Amino acid sequence: MSILIIQDAGPLTTIQDLGRFGYLRVGIPTSGPMDHDAFLVANRLVGSPDTAAALECTLIGPRVEFTDERLVAITGADMAPTVNGGAAPTWQGLRVKAGDVLRLGPAKSGVRAYLAVGGGIETPLVLGSRSTYVRGRLGGLEGRALRRGDRLPVGSVPAARPRRVHPDRVPVYGGDVTVAVVLGPQDDRFTAAGIAAFLEGPYEMLPQSDRMGARLKGPFIEHTRGHDIVSDGIAMGAIQVIGEGQPIVLLADRQSAGGYTKIGTVCSFDIGRIAQVKPGGRLRFHRVTVAEAHAMLRDRRRALDGTIE
Amino acid sequence: MTIWPQPRLLPCGDRALSVELGDEVNRELNARVLALEYLLQQKHLPGVGETVPSYRALLVYYDPLVVSHEALCATLRELWARARPEVLPPARTVELPCCYGGELGFELEAAAQKIGLSPDEMARLHAEADYYVYFVGFTPGLPYMTGMPDRLTIPRLTNPRTKTPPGSVAIGGVQCCIYPIESPGGFWVLGRTPVRLYDPIAPDPILLRAGDHVRFRAIDRAEYESIAASVEAGRYTPRIAG
Repeated sequence: MSILIIQDAGPLTTIQDLGRFGYLRVGIPTSGPMDHDAFLVANRLVGSPDTAAALECTLIGPRVEFTDERLVAITGADMAPTVNGGAAPTWQGLRVKAGDVLRLGPAKSGVRAYLAVGGGIETPLVLGSRSTYVRGRLGGLEGRALRRGDRLPVGSVPAARPRRVHPDRVPVYGGDVTVAVVLGPQDDRFTAAGIAAFLEGPYEMLPQSDRMGARLKGPFIEHTRGHDIVSDGIAMGAIQVIGEGQPIVLLADRQSAGGYTKIGTVCSFDIGRIAQVKPGGRLRFHRVTVAEAHAMLRDRRRALDGTIE
Repeated sequence: MTIWPQPRLLPCGDRALSVELGDEVNRELNARVLALEYLLQQKHLPGVGETVPSYRALLVYYDPLVVSHEALCATLRELWARARPEVLPPARTVELPCCYGGELGFELEAAAQKIGLSPDEMARLHAEADYYVYFVGFTPGLPYMTGMPDRLTIPRLTNPRTKTPPGSVAIGGVQCCIYPIESPGGFWVLGRTPVRLYDPIAPDPILLRAGDHVRFRAIDRAEYESIAASVEAGRYTPRIAG
């Protein structure tokens, strides 16, 4: 079987597929890629199905050696990749051969890069998924982030021609980001001034943010009567407002339930954009109705499907 | 008690909604949540994804490109009208051995002192009760339970611990929980069970389910060690009735 050798892992490089479904009701998070669209594009560029597993690299990328010829693709954060020291293109299929070393450096823009390899990474399925959930020691390679010296099994290479994302369609990270939110389920627990402050923003990404949640700092969000509720389920993208009146957007590795008020929920199609905001970067929330969100989802899905040439 | 006359269907973004049936911790209300989840699963409605029950609400994930928000809301209202505890399959009772006090139950003494009981008396009262699992979550496999006698009601810790060992049986307010993985905690640790509530390499990694009953059986340290060894060797099966 072919393998991929991790020569250097970077601070947090994990194996992710679309996620682990069916276990939220017992507290096991979905996990999966933080930037869903960048992940899907990487897989599609190498001719893999959307369900194939790829690497998610955080802030600083890994150094990877290939042991056979195959098609690879790098999307997401710009980590200035090189192959054998020469600049390598991103957002397009790239052919590597046995002995080639791909290096991803520190992110110049964005936070999370995706490295997909033709054939996909074929570590064992755990509860139906290869996604890594580090806190629960589940999936990926031994339930942990990758380390130097790891050898990852990869699948057999499908015949695929290199494809690319048109340069105009490559996302640009950085600058102020505005994401769509639907208010609720507990927006009635905030004052009008609190909701206005939340929608006015901006909020700054704090360095404590991780795969569980994006911790933000900005205008104080005022509650009507305390921040505790009878614990209930926490949807992907839910925005919890804790005691200090500051929001936390709960993400792929979030706890399944909790007892803090949730002012709103970031729409599914904008969660990946939050995942690419660096610590110190700013974001704002734009209110939409459920019907508007569904229309936007439809448009974004169509745009994603047309993104590859 | 606070059970809404009609369910509140609250949006949770573009891919989920929360069906809120009331606003308190109450077995009758929770049984209706579990019944609603059960009926929804039986219905196999295309576009409906995962469901997450909690004390008083059911979180429902859906794909709006397959099932419209309106159609899903209409189905949930219709199922709600039939969501009575009687529709649920019979509940299970799971017996969990627990070693109280000492270094495994390192807060038993302080907790007993806080509420004016002897540690032995507190452990006995805790072990005698019948616990009900409202739901499982927060971290993998963690049961949210009540069932303690009122005498054991205790305020949560003022300064939550950053690390609680797996298997810790702990109480706070009127609730009892067991920590399946090492995690922060604001409850008083009275004892520890050698049984794994979450085993990431088992085919079925989660022991307890929403709606289960739990009984603790007080064991001494020697029996704890012996069961822990069996668990480690994969030779232990917890006693489950029903």
